[in-house]
Amino acid sequence: MALLGVSVARELSQYNVSIAVIDRHNDVGLESTTTNHNLVCQGGDSLTFRPGTLHAELNVKSIPLWPKLADELGFPLRRIGGLWLIRDKADFRRYLRLYSRAFKSSLEPNAPYYIPEGSFQPPLEFVDRKRLLDMEPYITPSALGALHDPNLCITDPVKVAKALAENARANGVEFLLNQEVVRIERQGITYSIYTRQGLVIKSTFVVNAAGIEVDRIAEMVGARNFSIVPLKGTLTDFDEEVGRLISHEVHVLPRIEDMPHVKAVLPNIYGLARSGIYLELTYRSDRVVREEAVNHNIKVAKELFPEIPFEKHVVKSFIGFMAYTNADTGWHDFVVDIPDYVPNWVNIVLGPAGVSASPMLGKKVVELLMQSGLRLEPKRGGFDPRARRGGVQS
Amino acid sequence: MSAPRTITLDVARKMIDAMIRYARDNRVLPGSFAVVDEGGHVIAAERRDNGLPATFDIAIDKAWTAATMKTSARVLEVITRGQGWRLNVKYGGRLTIIPGSVPVVSGNKVIGGIGHSGGSAEEDEAIAQAGLSAFYREDHIDFTGEDMLRSLRRIADAAISHVIEKKLRPVAITIVDEWGGWPVLIYRMDGGGPYGYIEASRDRAWTAAAFRVPSDAVVNEVGINYGVGWNERLTVTAGGVPFRLQAQCSQWVLPVIGLRMIRK
Repeated sequence: MALLGVSVARELSQYNVSIAVIDRHNDVGLESTTTNHNLVCQGGDSLTFRPGTLHAELNVKSIPLWPKLADELGFPLRRIGGLWLIRDKADFRRYLRLYSRAFKSSLEPNAPYYIPEGSFQPPLEFVDRKRLLDMEPYITPSALGALHDPNLCITDPVKVAKALAENARANGVEFLLNQEVVRIERQGITYSIYTRQGLVIKSTFVVNAAGIEVDRIAEMVGARNFSIVPLKGTLTDFDEEVGRLISHEVHVLPRIEDMPHVKAVLPNIYGLARSGIYLELTYRSDRVVREEAVNHNIKVAKELFPEIPFEKHVVKSFIGFMAYTNADTGWHDFVVDIPDYVPNWVNIVLGPAGVSASPMLGKKVVELLMQSGLRLEPKRGGFDPRARRGGVQS
Repeated sequence: MSAPRTITLDVARKMIDAMIRYARDNRVLPGSFAVVDEGGHVIAAERRDNGLPATFDIAIDKAWTAATMKTSARVLEVITRGQGWRLNVKYGGRLTIIPGSVPVVSGNKVIGGIGHSGGSAEEDEAIAQAGLSAFYREDHIDFTGEDMLRSLRRIADAAISHVIEKKLRPVAITIVDEWGGWPVLIYRMDGGGPYGYIEASRDRAWTAAAFRVPSDAVVNEVGINYGVGWNERLTVTAGGVPFRLQAQCSQWVLPVIGLRMIRK
């Protein structure tokens, strides 16, 4: 179960409903959660997402929830800030658009980054080369300046997923691990979920948060009203010796010849440096780390920090899959939706920036379930946001 | 295993299976589905039972647009600011800038296109996206199409098996309906069959359907030999065969199969 699934389970555990989480793995956070940039969009970057999309809505609304969640559950959340390098006028023009969009968003009174009159603290700011060098001494000489997002955070999504799962379990959620769903039958509004291991679970409401397998699960009851393609990403980690030389998330806009890969380098929560992402559309079973992908990640790191010998400090490379919607246009958006023809069923597709949006996702699902007729009342015994009960792993 | 770098007939059919499934799950009116190669030439195209005949060529043209413009019609619509229809004067009106077409990308390269016609613009686009999604699926997708299309698929499969068994050159197969000679199914076999076979088979199927005799018997049995020009589809060489099919929907229809075979 990915982060999004346990996030929904935890949110629902506040109410008087019986919840079971079904996962084919023997632990939580083993799929997409383990393999991503570990970034939490906490600042201007969230405000630059295309307005009007669920992608933007859930991310922006999640901003104030993260520090509270980190405090309640005790997982690491470190504010490192992001630098979007400017190499030429084209970059500057593009960032100017993002900046003005972020700035405009922050002027709305209900925005998380609302700037009260007289205290000008923009969520994004332009920095010149001198200041850029103060921030990142080893940065490439081709960077003329940068757009600085001071609020960008990093975390360990696996720790977040485990903390959420343990808290959910302490609040009454049952975890059925090592159970692979093979068939689902619907009789009216009752679903019978059959697992390969022989379990049959009956439920009135189903939240389909199966990550990269979400479409296959939805097809079992004809509830697929979205399409995804599996986007494989390869990331490369470098040791602490390199990690301590980089203090911000640094990235450049990919040029046409770089497409579709992401060019970013950042420190992770454990002091390593991470570079990537080499992206490709492929089968979900294609879990091979290709040499070409690793070379690309090293090249990206060298391009951004030419003086650092990344090639000598590679620790490991790994792959992960994201569920990507609208692959034909590149306008990815989240899906959190009840299909028109299948009642009491919620499909969830997050994909890129899903970690950042996960705190708000639970609230969105609760809202949808209430709209579809589920009577949710606060639990009689109360909800303990800090309680932990281990042993989620089977 | 990484995803394939070309679209085979089997993969194209799987993509259509996924599109039909998506269309039925989401209650979209019956329409047509097309998968084309990098050059915009049909690999597989099908029309659901009761699908509007005109949707067949629209679906092919949409797929052709996606493959040759190497982008989705939704993007073309946005970048032309809704004025894309003006481009229709080009390519005999084939350029179709209406959502419902999606390029197939593999290895960061466009290797084909998908088109759907029959629903609203949004539905057409969603169905074409379902086809792209199926390209990256390894698992089997059940065919959920209607009885007539199911029967016609069996006929096409039998023809393909015959070609393989007899070690003939790869062929293109067209099955048309009896009412207007409108295609219901077009398949082009893998193995380097020239794309010219597609139109040749389609013409023979039309001829056989129009005169209800094999295409090469039109001259002798019906006595029609006006030559080329009176009808662009009339082709009086061998390959078009009429047949009757009793479908479970208790209606007699006369689809026609058009084969273009060259013996080695």
